[in-house]
Amino acid sequence: MTIVAESFWLWQFLGRLHPLIVHFPVGLLCVALVLEVISWFRKSTELRAGINAMLWIGTISAILAAGLGLVLVNQEDYAGKGVLVHQWSGLATMVLAILTVIALRSGRVNLYRSLLILTVVGVSVAGHYGALLTHGEDYISSVLPFGDQPNVANSPANNAMFASLNTSKQLTAKQVQELNLEIRSILAHNCYSCHSATKTKGELRLDSKALIMKGGKHGAILKAGHPEDSEIIRRITLPADDKEAMPTKGKRLTENEVALLSLWIKAGAPWPSGAEKSIYRVAALEPRLPILPAATVDINNPIDRLVNVYFHKNKIEWKSVVDDRTYMRRVYLDIIGLLPTPAKIQAFEADTRPDKREALVKELLSRNGDYAQHWITFWNDALRNDYSGTGYITGGRFDITQWLYASLKKNKPYNWFVRELISPTKESSGFIKGIKWRGTINSSQRTEMQAAQNVAQVLLGLNLKCASCHDSFISDWKLADAYAFANVFADTTLEINRCDKPTGKMAGRQVLFKELGQISVDAPTEKRLRELADFLVQPKDGRLYRTLVNRIWAQLMGRGIVEPVDAMDNEPWSQDLLDWLAYDFVQNGYDIKKLIYTITTSKTYQLPSVGVKDADLVMAPTYVFEGMVRRRLTAEQFADAVSLAFNPIYQDTSIVKMLPKTIQKEIAFPRASLVKNDPFLTALGRPNRETVSTSRTSQANLLQALELTNGTTFNEALKRGAEQWKAKYPSSDLLVKELYRKSLGRDPKPKEMIVAQKIVGVQPSVEGIEDLVWAISLHPEFQLIY
Amino acid sequence: MINRWNRREFLQKTSAATLAALAAGAPIPGLLSGCSGAEKDKAKKQANVRGTADTVILLWMAGGMAHTETFDPKRYTPYETGMEGNRVLSTFKSMPTALDGIHFSDGLQSIGKVMDRGTLIRSYVAADMGHILHSRHQYHWHTSYEPPQTVAAPHLGSWIAKELGPKNPVIPAFIDIGQRFTVGEAEELKAFHTAGFLGNEFGPFFIPDPSQGLESVRPPIGMDARRFERRNQLYNELISNSPVGEFGSDYQKESLRRSMEQAYRLLNSPEAKAFDLSTEPKHIYERYNTGRFGLGCLLARRLTEQGARFISVTTEYEPFKGWDTHENGHSRLEDMKCQIDGPIAQLILDLEKTGHLDRTMIILASEFSRDMMVEGRPDAKVQEQVKQPDILTDPKFYGMHRHFTDGCSVLMFGGGIKKGFVYGKTADERPCKTIEKPIHIEGIHQTIYHALGIASDTHYEVEKRPFYITPDGVAKPVMDLLV
Repeated sequence: MTIVAESFWLWQFLGRLHPLIVHFPVGLLCVALVLEVISWFRKSTELRAGINAMLWIGTISAILAAGLGLVLVNQEDYAGKGVLVHQWSGLATMVLAILTVIALRSGRVNLYRSLLILTVVGVSVAGHYGALLTHGEDYISSVLPFGDQPNVANSPANNAMFASLNTSKQLTAKQVQELNLEIRSILAHNCYSCHSATKTKGELRLDSKALIMKGGKHGAILKAGHPEDSEIIRRITLPADDKEAMPTKGKRLTENEVALLSLWIKAGAPWPSGAEKSIYRVAALEPRLPILPAATVDINNPIDRLVNVYFHKNKIEWKSVVDDRTYMRRVYLDIIGLLPTPAKIQAFEADTRPDKREALVKELLSRNGDYAQHWITFWNDALRNDYSGTGYITGGRFDITQWLYASLKKNKPYNWFVRELISPTKESSGFIKGIKWRGTINSSQRTEMQAAQNVAQVLLGLNLKCASCHDSFISDWKLADAYAFANVFADTTLEINRCDKPTGKMAGRQVLFKELGQISVDAPTEKRLRELADFLVQPKDGRLYRTLVNRIWAQLMGRGIVEPVDAMDNEPWSQDLLDWLAYDFVQNGYDIKKLIYTITTSKTYQLPSVGVKDADLVMAPTYVFEGMVRRRLTAEQFADAVSLAFNPIYQDTSIVKMLPKTIQKEIAFPRASLVKNDPFLTALGRPNRETVSTSRTSQANLLQALELTNGTTFNEALKRGAEQWKAKYPSSDLLVKELYRKSLGRDPKPKEMIVAQKIVGVQPSVEGIEDLVWAISLHPEFQLIY
Repeated sequence: MINRWNRREFLQKTSAATLAALAAGAPIPGLLSGCSGAEKDKAKKQANVRGTADTVILLWMAGGMAHTETFDPKRYTPYETGMEGNRVLSTFKSMPTALDGIHFSDGLQSIGKVMDRGTLIRSYVAADMGHILHSRHQYHWHTSYEPPQTVAAPHLGSWIAKELGPKNPVIPAFIDIGQRFTVGEAEELKAFHTAGFLGNEFGPFFIPDPSQGLESVRPPIGMDARRFERRNQLYNELISNSPVGEFGSDYQKESLRRSMEQAYRLLNSPEAKAFDLSTEPKHIYERYNTGRFGLGCLLARRLTEQGARFISVTTEYEPFKGWDTHENGHSRLEDMKCQIDGPIAQLILDLEKTGHLDRTMIILASEFSRDMMVEGRPDAKVQEQVKQPDILTDPKFYGMHRHFTDGCSVLMFGGGIKKGFVYGKTADERPCKTIEKPIHIEGIHQTIYHALGIASDTHYEVEKRPFYITPDGVAKPVMDLLV
């Protein structure tokens, strides 16, 4: 990190001498006046020499202070009325002091005395405003037992606070925990660089309870219950230019951060008992089989039985399940990423078997190619596998497309899938090899560390990114843990770097969760990776499987049981459901398709979809599950939907060439998941897969709308299709009906028919067809999975 | 010091709010990510940061523009066969500019004449990243983060789009003119032409060819205005006549309708004409018409006048093309200067004439400089990208062919930038490195953000980690550059 030299240091230095020098004129001139008054009363001249000396030194230092003040105000970010008053009253004082000295020298006693009084008035005004700048408005008045306090206490918010504190209502254990997380995070962010194990300025360390309470060289830094008397609060609220202000370098604490620290001290600086106990929520590692509530006639799927308990607790009524058409559209899009054809819909609606929904899911899951072509999008994002991107040009990156496609198509058991990612064959090695840029890179981005971060994030749902630079302040992961984990992937022993600086310490070799097994430290990399893979896929690694089932749930339901899906230590909305799904997944042979079957045949999945007014609400911890959250089609689903319902967006030549011929042959039409990223897909939300990406946004935006309105990829496909449709459907009635059935899975309503016919014309024209298809593909009913 | 708050009052107020939040069981992290909270930000913007600019135009000299051949000329040594490369500091004569004692390299007279409108920085120091590589340095310049990163870093333009939004709602907030992604290293270029974690919404709107600018904002080819309007009208009619109401109102649907409406408005707006260079008077068009870059400047001017927020115009990066001179440096630079000199000067004069220059900041920059002898910087040993001879046996070796990071020139005009000001200095003998007031990318970004009224510690929480507008949020604007 380079800090920009803003301006010449000498000016800054001189400017900052101003607050030091000003004390001379303030003190000397005031005392001079006092002595002058005494002399006047006593009618004596014994103090004359002293007074004169004070006046001279006072005046000279006033000139100096004024000069330095002008330097300071130009060097730093001062502005505002207070500064102006201070500046001009200071300059006036300087002039008055000079005049006083001149009057004194010329022997005009009355003028001199009047000027001296004026000077002292000036010094007081300038001094007062100067002090306001450095100490704050109510530096003095705030300690008075009266003053503006009643005013403040009258506001309702403050009443609430005082009520809580005065009735000495204790914070709950959870609140204490949350508060502590914040406090430690604030200290870590802002203070650790100088006050922790690495560097201990002022003999003060802030990285443990005992050390904080002990204080530093100058004694205690906080007084429990009294933020206003706590040194730490005083220091962090001093203006930036005060030499006692903290932090001395870098960013100031935000208002919220100061408020939280104060609140924490006010609440008695609570700290969870036992210094070693984590203040973070840490999810259990081992699997757990929750007791399933008894089945009833209606509710027998285990998911439904668990959700039923959740619904009871949250006073949610079961709604009736969605109709056949809606269900069919959902499972088609969720399982194979395609729209159902009108014929299939008709047959399904006519089917009278009671288990036809289960049969449909089974049928879809058995369409191995379609399944792989859909789910490869999700896994490409997560494993940052792409057909183009940085790194390929210099051989610094390897794709795993063939392996991934084949694994999905075969429905490779997930434990094997993970095993092959971590202890790879040549075809699957790209994931842990990462992306290597030429040149020197930050040590937290070396490929071994990328492997550690990505395995942790994607497979274990935990964030190792902080800890790969320094001890984390959002979890208990330490720098040494991250390096020990990264070192498992390394051919040579890694040296631990803290914030990109070598520490001289060499990394150990360890799985993040030591209870899973001990890596043979000196074994060759290949053997170590085999061990690591074996350790991680053990059934007792409940975390691996909870992470996976939660991801699949999120894909099918629009929201995970735990969110964000990469933060598996967060609280699930139903621990039992999460645990049961993970347990069952292992029992069923790590079979992802089986998992999808269990979820999609549950009544829970078949509930009407839930619309959300604000995207943030879906991810909020206050979220209450009521059913699948409505989602937009992904870029790939949208392109494929248009391709199937109307005309292929992509031509055969777009399919990436890295797929073997055998696969290329079995693709019914060029699916968007198998083409290189382009402006069309980017606009619709396909990420550039430079970093792991495990969720996509559902929100539309202008760039996307522009691409859909006049982008060439889309419009050319519409044009090609319109010509064919015109030849095929001579009457607009037939054409509109067919288009509605293919795209929305239903017939147009009479009113819709009228509008649609207005668009295509009585005799369908190419342009009319283009416009109608355009309008329908941008129709919310087409764009949403509902 | 206006952002000084009344400490006691503040403590009481916010801690009350915090406690109330705690009592209500609300998560405290929400308070912390208040970094992005509109309320606080707004207050901060008003209090702490002044805004002197509304629009930013980045003129990107892609490929590494040699400072001694452009805005920081040194002793001129004409070519002789068999001469030692070490003798050559500049391959052009220098010419006076509007600033006393400040010279530019021959071929940049027009920009020299308008230099009294802006600031010349002669002390930009690019990062050292082992290899001196265009893609990594360009990534670094545009995001202020060195690649790779664990989180997708947003482009400068995306930060601005996110923080300020479009200036005119129908003109995309971040417009990128001139770069095609079909060239070598395209993937590396894409890696930073992105809004990263801020989301696609704030990503660039690409106009690879400025003369085709209109294509991007007009109805699809072959669709006249009448049909376009009718299509949009019937689309809305179709939706209002469909049973879509049963989906209630959710944000996906709302955002879809809203953005479609916005796109329609843009494509149908009078502002869209700004994208059409053919409506520019012929004689002015010709002043800009030095090629795609020149026309990019013209488009940038027109969009600025209609209320664009951030525009990047590039000479286009393509390996071994443009400013990326690995041979024939001297003659290639004659061309490059010809491309940029007239249009840039004209852009500044035109914006000045219409009064837009006061609120528009123009920045001319490149990822690093070049030198005939030194690769990287004098004291750092880095691998040479292309072998260069020490004795010039052929005119094609006459030019600045190595990558140099220790002294680069940046020009800034308008939007609160000092006029007729020179900042920093490089040595007059090889190595012609920065010897006064080094300035780094974080400082440049912060200065731009400051002028726009964006706080220096703006950040968002990504995966629970704060991601700052410049690394760790510690860099400060270089106030010396601002009026």
